[in-house]
Amino acid sequence: MIDKLAFLFVEGIKNFTRNKLTNFLCIVTIFINFTILGTFFVLGYNTDNVVNFLRSKYTFEIFLNSETSLDQAVNLKNELSNNSLVTSVDFIGKEESAKIFYDEFGEDIVEVLGYNPLPTSLKVNLEENGFDANQVNTLIEEYKLNALIDEISYQGNYIDDIESRINLFIFAFLVLVLLVIFISIQIIGNTTNLSLSNRKDFIEILRYNGASNLFIKTPFFIETFLQSLIGSLLAFFLVKYGFVVINSYLGVNIEIDYYLWAWMIVLSLIISIYASGRSMKRILV
Amino acid sequence: MIDFENITYNYSHQSGVYDIDLEIQDNEFCFLVGPTGSGKTTLLKLLYFDLFPHKGKVNILNYSSKNVKKSSIHKIRKKIGVVFQDYKLLKQRTVYENIALPLHINGVGRKKIKQLVREALDLTELSHYSKKFPDELSGGEQQRVCIARAIVKNPDIILADEPTGNLDPTTGHKILKIFEQINKEGTCVVMATHNYKLISDKTYRVIELNEGRIVSG
Ligand SMILES: Nc1ncnc2c1ncn2[C@@H]1O[C@H](COP(=O)(O)OP(=O)(O)OP(=O)(O)O)[C@@H](O)[C@H]1O
Ligand SMILES: [Mg+2]
Repeated sequence: MIDKLAFLFVEGIKNFTRNKLTNFLCIVTIFINFTILGTFFVLGYNTDNVVNFLRSKYTFEIFLNSETSLDQAVNLKNELSNNSLVTSVDFIGKEESAKIFYDEFGEDIVEVLGYNPLPTSLKVNLEENGFDANQVNTLIEEYKLNALIDEISYQGNYIDDIESRINLFIFAFLVLVLLVIFISIQIIGNTTNLSLSNRKDFIEILRYNGASNLFIKTPFFIETFLQSLIGSLLAFFLVKYGFVVINSYLGVNIEIDYYLWAWMIVLSLIISIYASGRSMKRILV
Repeated sequence: MIDFENITYNYSHQSGVYDIDLEIQDNEFCFLVGPTGSGKTTLLKLLYFDLFPHKGKVNILNYSSKNVKKSSIHKIRKKIGVVFQDYKLLKQRTVYENIALPLHINGVGRKKIKQLVREALDLTELSHYSKKFPDELSGGEQQRVCIARAIVKNPDIILADEPTGNLDPTTGHKILKIFEQINKEGTCVVMATHNYKLISDKTYRVIELNEGRIVSG
C-alpha cells in the first residue's frame, strides 16, 4: 500500500516535470488570481484602519504659526470650542508633537536637529450629528485667513467622496472575487482536460492493466496539488512583501493576517482540486 | 471460469460474432483459430469487458457482463493478463517500467516487483533490454515485452491475441513453452492464432471460428 502510494506520488511528480507548459499555465493562473484575492483579503482584514481613516472626516488639524504665543493659542482653542460645529479641541504642544513624531518615525527630531521645528497644533473634533461638509469647509476657509494659523489639514472632502462610493467598492470587490474564482476553475479545468486528452492512450493502457479510477486520478491530483501549492505560495510572498514595501514607502500600517499563507494555500487547493476533479469526472466515467 | 452464453456482438450488419456458446475450464489451455477477420480478437475483448455483448452474457471469474459495474471492471482485469495484438506498451516508459506496471497497479511491494520483473525478463529473454524504450525495439521484442507484462502478475487467466505473430518459429515455440509452463501452474490460457503450423503438434483443445461463428471446438 505504501509502495503503491509512493509509486503514484512519483508518477505525479513525473507528470509535473513532463508537462511544463500546462503546469506553467496553471501556476501562473493561480498566482495571478491569488495575488488579487490575497490583496483584497489583506485590505479587508484592515477595515479597522479604513474605518479609522474614515472617522478622520470628523477632525481637522490646525498648525499654528511659530510666533504664536501660548495665550493666543488658548484663546483660539476656546473660540473654536464655542463653535456649534465643534465638540472639542485638543491642544498639542511642541513637546507632544515631537513625541508623536518619535512614535511614528522612530527618530528623536530634537536630538537630530538640535531644536524642535514642530509647530504647536490644535486637533479640532467636529460634531457628528447633523454633520455637513459645506459648513465645515466654510469654517476652515474662514480660519485659513487667521494670521496665527500656518496651515489646516483636512481630509474630509475626499473621504466623503470615498464614502459615497464605498458600497460600490464592496460590490465590485465581491464580483471580482467571484470572477477570479470562476476564472481559476475554468482555466485549471481546461488545462486538466488538455493534459487528460494528451494522455488518453496512457490512461487507456492503465485501464487495460486493471487500474482503478482512483489509481489513474491520483497522479493528476498530485500534479494539481503541486501547481496550486506553488502558485499560491508565490502569490502569498508577493502580497506579503508587497505590503511590507507599501507600508514602509507610504508610512502606513497595513497589517497582514498571520494565517494569510494558510488560507491562501487551502483555498487554492480546494479550487484547483475541485476544478480538476470536475474535468476528470467528465472523462473518466 | 469462462462461459459464453449465446453471445452476439456486431460492429455493423456484416461483422461481429454471432451465437457463441462456449465454456472454458479453470486450468484449460486452448487455441482460438480462424482466418483473419473471423472474430478472435472480438471474442477476447468480450472477455476482458472491453466490449459488451448485444445479446447473451459472458461470465468470467464470477463476474457477469449482465450486471458488472463499470467501477468493478478493474478488479477483473487485475486477474487477467492480456497479450494485445497491437501490444499497447507505454511509449514513454522503459521495458522494465512497462512490465512492472501491472504489479504497481496490483499493489505489489517494491522488492517483490523487482524480483518478479527480473524473472519475467529472463523468461522472455529481454534482460538486456530492460532500460530501452519500446520504440527502440523490434516488433518481436515489443511483443515479448507485452507477453512479459501479461504473465508477470501471475494472473488467473491469460488471453493471448496472436502472441507469436511477429516471432520466428523458434522464438514462437519458446513462447508457447512459457504459456504451457504457466498453464501447468494452474493458469487458464486462451491463445488466439492463425499460425496453424505452430500448434499442429499440440493436443490442446482448438476452437475454430469462421465469419464470427464457431465451426468446431
Ligand atoms: N472496431 C471495429 N469496428 C468495426 N468493425 C470491426 C471493428 N473491429 C473489428 N471489426 C470487424 O469485426 C470482424 C472481426 O474482427 P476481429 O478483429 O475480431 O478479427 P480477428 O479474428 O481477430 O482477425 P485477425 O486474425 O486479423 O486479428 C472483422 O470483420 C472486422 O472487420
Ligand atoms: Mg485479431
